[in-house]
Amino acid sequence: MTLLDIKNLNLSMRSFEGETQILHGIDLKVERGEIWGMVGETGSGKSLTGLSVSRLIPPATGRYLAGSIEFEGRDVLKAGEKEMRALRGRKIGMIFQDPTTNLNPVFRIGTQLVDVALHAGHADPTVLGLEPGASSRDLKKAAKRVAVEMLDKVGIPKAAERIHDYPHQFSGGMRQRVLIAMAMIGKPDLLIADEPTTALDVSVQAQILKLIHDLVAERNIGVLMITHNLGVVAQICSHVAVMYRGRILERGLVTDVLKKPSHVYTQALLNSIPTAHTKRGELRGLGGVMPEVQ
Amino acid sequence: MLEINNVSKIFPGQRKGLFGQAEGFKALDDVSLRVTRGKSFGLVGESGSGKTTLTRCILKLETLTSGNILYEGADIARLAPAEMRRLRARLQIVFQDPYASLDPRMTIHDIVAEPLVIHRDIVPMTSRQRTERVLELLLQVGLRAEHLFRYPHEFSGGQRQRIGIARALAVKPEFLILDEPTSALDVSVQADVLNLLHRLQEELGLTYFFISHDLGVIRYICDDVAVIYRGKLVESGPVADIFERPTNEYTRMLLNAMPDPDPDRSPFRTVASV
Ligand SMILES: Nc1ncnc2c1ncn2[C@@H]1O[C@H](COP(=O)(O)OP(=O)(O)OP(=O)(O)O)[C@@H](O)[C@H]1O
Ligand SMILES: Nc1ncnc2c1ncn2[C@@H]1O[C@H](COP(=O)(O)OP(=O)(O)OP(=O)(O)O)[C@@H](O)[C@H]1O
Ligand SMILES: [Mg+2]
Ligand SMILES: [Mg+2]
Repeated sequence: MTLLDIKNLNLSMRSFEGETQILHGIDLKVERGEIWGMVGETGSGKSLTGLSVSRLIPPATGRYLAGSIEFEGRDVLKAGEKEMRALRGRKIGMIFQDPTTNLNPVFRIGTQLVDVALHAGHADPTVLGLEPGASSRDLKKAAKRVAVEMLDKVGIPKAAERIHDYPHQFSGGMRQRVLIAMAMIGKPDLLIADEPTTALDVSVQAQILKLIHDLVAERNIGVLMITHNLGVVAQICSHVAVMYRGRILERGLVTDVLKKPSHVYTQALLNSIPTAHTKRGELRGLGGVMPEVQ
Repeated sequence: MLEINNVSKIFPGQRKGLFGQAEGFKALDDVSLRVTRGKSFGLVGESGSGKTTLTRCILKLETLTSGNILYEGADIARLAPAEMRRLRARLQIVFQDPYASLDPRMTIHDIVAEPLVIHRDIVPMTSRQRTERVLELLLQVGLRAEHLFRYPHEFSGGQRQRIGIARALAVKPEFLILDEPTSALDVSVQADVLNLLHRLQEELGLTYFFISHDLGVIRYICDDVAVIYRGKLVESGPVADIFERPTNEYTRMLLNAMPDPDPDRSPFRTVASV
């Protein structure tokens, strides 16, 4: 069964001046073992697509005009809130672009990680390395151990000590890594990662990519990775979809799309990356290749 | 223009019991560097190595444990509050986190106009002129007039980041600190923003203090670069030298870890269904 199947997703968002359609018929399938990159224009609807899969767009502002999002055959847009709570953080892991949605400034990093680990452990003790039916004392102990382990895996030095820090004592990139740890603790079947490495230096970034890569190799999960970094896509993704103004312009194997882009927008993106030889002021950007679609 | 001399910053450790305190955390360790007027200075380094802390020290949002910071020869630690306020009008910052740095209760118009209001004695404007300036700034960073009266939560990450850039440019500062200013932008918008910064520098002689994890961006926009690792400056010099002939082990490692947009060069390419 297809892990994630987004069909003809149409979403509009309400704001002060009225309703605007943001997503215009998104179709996307993610199978187990695949790492999909999603790249494209800022404001084109990548985050809203990702949030839709966990059904995290407030019903007061977002309205689905058409379409469905099937996770293992079940339409999440029609699922009850209780069912969604069981999926989130457990079967569907999400790394948010906005760290403030998932990190509470008044609790220690450790407390928040342990909470997530316990939530996952109650549903399935094996994610904490325990036998089914483990006692809640064992769960608590294991949750603490796993929290430190994960923080260590995402490259926070002296994880066992720093777990007692509050979020404001962490740097931008360290906070981002806490979110990555949180999303991975539940050993999800589908990982949605929205700009997971923007605040990381290239060497820590490589370490995180390896972590995601190993998770896919070990557990045969599927990943949807939203990123602006085409280098990251080239390194880790098997497939890529290119978004522009709420539509997917082009998709396919990374080796095809990045090497032989068929859409002018994708070509323009690739040409916008500064290389060792680009002189200052000569970077091209879109330079009018995209006629206004609206 | 900016001189940072032997700056160290230690954050106090956790309190232990009534009198005890854990060992402090040394975020900056004897850092010295110089930023030349009209040039772009790049700072790169490990995540958590003290880059943001250094910018907070420059803005006097943190007190130094030792060392000093001179702006045009004046020690900022000794500036009287009124002088510091005048300096703040010339020295602006684009904060790293586009989500935490915009007040959720203010409209975009008010956010971008805020520095113009705070420094109205230095840049006197009628409220009409202010709105025109805000609009001009939004257009410069690729946003539109219809965005003026919306609130931050209605914007994507990259749109918020550009709002932060517009706000920092509002008072026409002479020195701009940019902490990861393009991390949330797609590469084509990033190219536009970098070109805008370059143009402003040519026209107005701005000085930039540019922090980025994207080494390609640093190479493109900066004249000089410094590499920081665990609070210590490990290497600095002209961009061409550091990128072509790095002498430090950590710098070399960083350069090698730059992800190549050519999929054939991926270390993982054997994975999945490919
Ligand atoms: N709560 C909201 N109310 C109204 N409009 C919104 C809201 N949230 C997002 N939008 C609009 O929806 C569009 C898509 O936003 P989204 O966050 O999905 O973009 P994105 O592709 O993730 O961009 P980025 O790469 O900059 O993060 C944007 O134009 C944004 O202004
Ligand atoms: N208020 C604070 N209290 C205690 N420690 C702090 C505080 N602020 C920062 N630190 C620590 O100082 C170190 C440097 O943080 P800083 O934010 O300057 O890093 P950075 O180089 O900007 O990293 P990044 O690239 O991830 O943003 C980190 O280890 C961080 O945990
Ligand atoms: Mg986004
Ligand atoms: Mg920082």
